[in-house]
Amino acid sequence: MQLPAQQVAVLEAASADEATSVDALAEATDLPPETVTGAAFELESDGLVAVEERVDETVALTDEGAEYADESLPEVRLYEAALEADADDDSAQMGPVIGASGLEGPQVDIALSNYARKGYGAIDSGEITADPDADPGADAEANALEALADAGDAPVESVDVDDDTLEQLERRGLLERTESTVRAVTLTERAVTELMAGIETAETVGQVTPELLTSGEWESVEFAEYNVEADAEAVESGKVHILRQMSERVKDVLVGMGFQEMDGPHVDADFWINDCLFMPQDHPARTHWDRFAMEQPTHIDELPADLVEDVERVHREGLGEDSEGYHSPWDEDFARALALRGHTTSLSTRHLSGEQIGEIEPPARFFSIEKAYRNDTLDATHLLEFYQIEGWVMAEDLSVRDLMGTFEEFYAQFGIENIQFKPHYNPYTEPSFELFGTHPTTGELIEIGNSGIFREEMLEPLGVDCDVMAWGLALERLAMLTTGAEDIRDLHGTLADLEFLRNAEVTY
Amino acid sequence: MPTVDIDPDELRDLTGREEKGDEELKDDLFGLGLEFEGLTEDGAFELEFAPDRLDRLSVEGVARSLRYHYGDARGLHVPSTNDADWTIEVDESVPDERPYVTGAIVRDIDLDEDSLDSLIQLQEKLHATMGRKRAKGAIGIHDLTMLKGSPATEGNPTIEYVGVEPDGDRFVPLDSDQELTPAEVLEEHPTGRTYADLVADYERYPAIYDDLGLFSFPPVINGRRTEVSADSRDLLVEMTGTDQWTIDKMLNIVCYALAGRGATLEAVTVEYADGEIVRPDFSTKTKTVAHDRIETILGIGLDPDEVIDLAERSGLEAERAEDDEGDLVYEVTIPPYRVDVLHPLDVIDDLGRAYGFNDLEPTYPDVGTVGGRHERSRLERAARTQLVGLGFEDMLNFHMINEAENYERVDLKQGTDAYGAGEPTTIKEVYSEDYTMLRTWTLPSLLMVLERNTHRSYPQYLSEIGFTARLDESENTGVGENRHVGAVLASHDAGYEDAKARLQALCRQFDVDLETPPTDHPTFIDGRTAAVVVDGEEVGVIGEVHPKVLVEHDLEVPVAAFEFDLEALQ
Repeated sequence: MQLPAQQVAVLEAASADEATSVDALAEATDLPPETVTGAAFELESDGLVAVEERVDETVALTDEGAEYADESLPEVRLYEAALEADADDDSAQMGPVIGASGLEGPQVDIALSNYARKGYGAIDSGEITADPDADPGADAEANALEALADAGDAPVESVDVDDDTLEQLERRGLLERTESTVRAVTLTERAVTELMAGIETAETVGQVTPELLTSGEWESVEFAEYNVEADAEAVESGKVHILRQMSERVKDVLVGMGFQEMDGPHVDADFWINDCLFMPQDHPARTHWDRFAMEQPTHIDELPADLVEDVERVHREGLGEDSEGYHSPWDEDFARALALRGHTTSLSTRHLSGEQIGEIEPPARFFSIEKAYRNDTLDATHLLEFYQIEGWVMAEDLSVRDLMGTFEEFYAQFGIENIQFKPHYNPYTEPSFELFGTHPTTGELIEIGNSGIFREEMLEPLGVDCDVMAWGLALERLAMLTTGAEDIRDLHGTLADLEFLRNAEVTY
Repeated sequence: MPTVDIDPDELRDLTGREEKGDEELKDDLFGLGLEFEGLTEDGAFELEFAPDRLDRLSVEGVARSLRYHYGDARGLHVPSTNDADWTIEVDESVPDERPYVTGAIVRDIDLDEDSLDSLIQLQEKLHATMGRKRAKGAIGIHDLTMLKGSPATEGNPTIEYVGVEPDGDRFVPLDSDQELTPAEVLEEHPTGRTYADLVADYERYPAIYDDLGLFSFPPVINGRRTEVSADSRDLLVEMTGTDQWTIDKMLNIVCYALAGRGATLEAVTVEYADGEIVRPDFSTKTKTVAHDRIETILGIGLDPDEVIDLAERSGLEAERAEDDEGDLVYEVTIPPYRVDVLHPLDVIDDLGRAYGFNDLEPTYPDVGTVGGRHERSRLERAARTQLVGLGFEDMLNFHMINEAENYERVDLKQGTDAYGAGEPTTIKEVYSEDYTMLRTWTLPSLLMVLERNTHRSYPQYLSEIGFTARLDESENTGVGENRHVGAVLASHDAGYEDAKARLQALCRQFDVDLETPPTDHPTFIDGRTAAVVVDGEEVGVIGEVHPKVLVEHDLEVPVAAFEFDLEALQ
C-alpha cells in the first residue's frame, strides 16, 4: 500500500499496545501537532488507527490566588491583626485593626466578607471580635492555595483538594480551570498487518494531469504545497475602453429611465445641425472658427422642401403676431452646406421632424451618446472630437420643474447631487439652464451640462405641437468627474497610453 | 464664453447700494446669469455673460438690471429725448452692401477715464456680438464740438453718409498722424488691415462727411479730428450696417447706457432717398402672453397680480387682458433696449428669473415611455464583448486623421479597389495638419497606437469598432458612413494564423460563414493576405502587415491584422 509521507511517519511512530498522544507523536515524527492530527484522522478513516479523545481538566491559581498563597488570605491577615489588638477578650475598634492588618482597597471588603463566614469572629457596628478557637492553620482554602501554588498547572485529579474547596476558590476568582482535548493514537490490527506487509511513501505531485484523474491515482498522491502568497505572472486581459464603459453605464441609466437611442449621420447639412435649431445663419458659432466645414463633399443633395420653407419662414418672420424672426440673412445654399456635426442635436432635429424614423408621437424620450466635432483648442480638457450625451423628453405641458426633476434623477445616478440651475441663453431653448452640481469627491460646484425647453420657433416647423425639453453634456466630462482622470487625452485618441488603459479601474 | 469687465465701485455707485460687499455683489450677479470669472489687473470683476442680454455689456446696463433685481426700480423706463437738431443725409453713392445708418446726439455727458473705458468696452462688445465683428453693425462715437454741419435745410446742421472712391479724400485716422486715403488705411494702418476684409469687395467705401470733410470711415476707423476724450461733453453716436433694426438696437443700448450716466439724449434725423426717420427709436413692442402658458412652463399656479409684479421686477410692464376665447392673457410691453425678446416664451423666462428658478420644487414628469437601444448600438456592444473575450484591448480613436496616416504610411493609394482606399471626405478649414479628413478605415489608427506604445509590454492585441467614412455619391450627404471592426495582434511571434483564429471565433459567435480567399493588398505581405468574405460577400481584409509599413511605424515585432465591415456580422 502507498500512503503520503506524513501518514507513514505517524503509523511508524504509533504503537498497537498503548495509546500515544499527538504531542508525543509530533515529537517523534518531527511534524507539527496539527499535521499529525490531520494525518491521524486520515488514517482513522482508512481503518488503520484508532483515535481516542479525552478531555483533560487542569487547575491553576490566578494572579490573585498566587498572591494570597504567598501572603496568606486577607481574612487570615485580619484575624491575626485582631488577635494582636486583643479582640479575643473584648471587641476592638475596626479602623485600627484594619490599619494594623496592612489590608488595602478591595482586599478589605474581601477580608470582611469571608471573616465571619469562616468563623474567625464577628463584626458588628464598627467593632470586631476574634474567636480565640479559630485556627488559621486549618483553613482549607489557605491550605489548598498553598498546595496549588506548589503544583503549578496541574491535572485536577492530581491535586489533593476537595471539590467544595476548589469550587469556593474558583468562585472567589483565585483559581482557573482549563479544559483541553487530548488525542491519542493506537494502531489497529489492520495497520499492524499492513506495516508488516510494508507501506510505501507516496510521491508528491506538482500538477494535476489528465492521467492522474483518469487512473484514479489522484486518490493516493500528495499535492506539493505552493507558496500561495507569491506574486503571479502579469496577465493583460482584454478590456472594454474606459470611456466606452462609461458610455455603456450612461446608456443603461437612460434606457432605464425610458429613453430610446438615436442614430444618424456624422457629416450633415447645416440645416439639420443649426437651421432647424433656430440658430440664425450669422450666429457666431456658425462661423468657420468653431465649425468643421466639409471641403469635399460640400452640400447635401436633398432637404425636405416643405421643411426648408417653414424653417426659413420662422427665421425671417417668427411665429405669428407676437413673435419676431431674426434680423439676419437666410440662404438655402448655406443651409445645405455640409459639416461635421458640432453637436448631436442634429440627431434630435432629424428625429423630431420625422425624417429619421418617421413621426414620433408624444410622450417620448430619446437619447444618444455619439460623437460631436468642435474646432476648438486641443488641450487637457478639450478635444476636437468628443462624445455628447444628448437627451430629450416630449410630452404635453412640460414645465421647468419637470426638467429639473428629470436631471436631478439622472445626475443622482452618478453621485452628483444638489443640482443648481443657472438661467442661461441658448438660441434654441427658452427657458435655458446651465446645470451645476457638487463634485462627488472635491465638493466643488462644477458645470455639468446645458439644458432647456426647445423654443416654439424650433418645434413648429418640425411639426411638433407639444413641449420638448432637452439637455446635453460631454461624456468625457462625466467620465473625468467620476474617474478622477485629469487629462482627457489619456482617455481618447491615438495618443492613448496602453499602460494607462490596462491599469484603469473598471466602471460599473 | 464672452466676458465683460465691470468695476464693482462703479456698480455700487450707480445702483446706490454702497453697502454691498464684493461677495454679495457676486452672488447678485450670478442670479442675473453673470458668472464671476476673476479679477482684472485693475480690480474690476471679469464677468461671463450669455449673449442674449446685450444691454448688460456696460456697467450702466448691469447696474440697471441690479436695480430691478433689488426692487429699487420697477416697470418700464424710457428716457426722454430732445427733438432733433442734427440730420444725417444718406447720399445715393452709399455702397449697396452697407446702406443703413442711424445715430443720436448725447449732451452734457460727464466722463472720466474709467467711464470712457467702459464706453469703449461697450462699443467693442457690441461689435463682437450683435455687430458680428462690425460686418452687420459698426459704431462710431465722436466729439460733437469738433464737427461742423452745414445747415442744408431749415437751419439744421447736417452731416452726410456717402460712398467714396478708395483713393479719394484723405483724412487722419485714429492712432496715426498721417493723412491717408481709405485705401491707404486698409493697407497701412493696423486697424485698417484688421477690418480690410469687410470692405474688400466694395466698389466704393462708406464714409461720413461734415463741412470740414471726411471724419469717419465705417466700419473700419474714425478720424482723429473727432476723437472722444474724458473732456468731451457732447457726443455724436453714429452706426452703419447691413440691417436697420440691428444698428437701431445697438444705438438704443448705447443711449440707455449714457442716459444711465446722466447724459441728455437728443434725436437725429436720418434722411434716406425714400423718406426720413428719427432716431433713437425708443418705441416699445408688446407681446401677448397667456396666463395658462406661464403656469405650465413654470409648473406653478400664479395670481395675476403676482405675474404683473414679476413683470415689473423684470423691467417690463404687464396689463391684464383677454384673448378671443376669453382666457386671461397679459399685454406685456418690452423696453427698447431689449434685443432678446422674440417670442412670448422669452417673457415667461424673464418672469421665471424674477421668481427665482431655483425656488421651484423639482418634479419627476409623470410620463411613461419604453427605453431601448438602437440596433447598431447593440450590435457594436455584442461584437466588442466578443473581441474583449478574445483578449483584445478595446480602443477609441479619433475619427479625424490626415492623408499621410490614412494612406501613405500604410502604403495605400486612395481611390483604388483595396479595402480602406476609398476617396477621402475632407475638412475645409483644418485645426491642424494632423486632422484633415475622416478616416476611411481603422487600421492606420491602430498602427499609430502601436507606434506610440513600443515601450509597453507585448503582446499588444488591440481592436476597435469604429466609425469610418468615404465619398459615396449614392448617399444624400455624399458620404458613406459605416463602422469597421479592426484588430491588430503585435507580439514577437504574431502571424496570420493568430489573426485568422480570432476572426474565425468572432464569425462563429455571430453564426456567419467566413471564407478567406487569397488577395493582394499593399498594406500586407503578398501570399499572407486574404479577403474577408462573410456569407459570400467580400467585406474586409486579413493578413500580416508588410515590413515596410512596420518599419514606417518604428515597430520591431510582427503584426497580424484584420478589418471588415461591422454590418457583415448582422
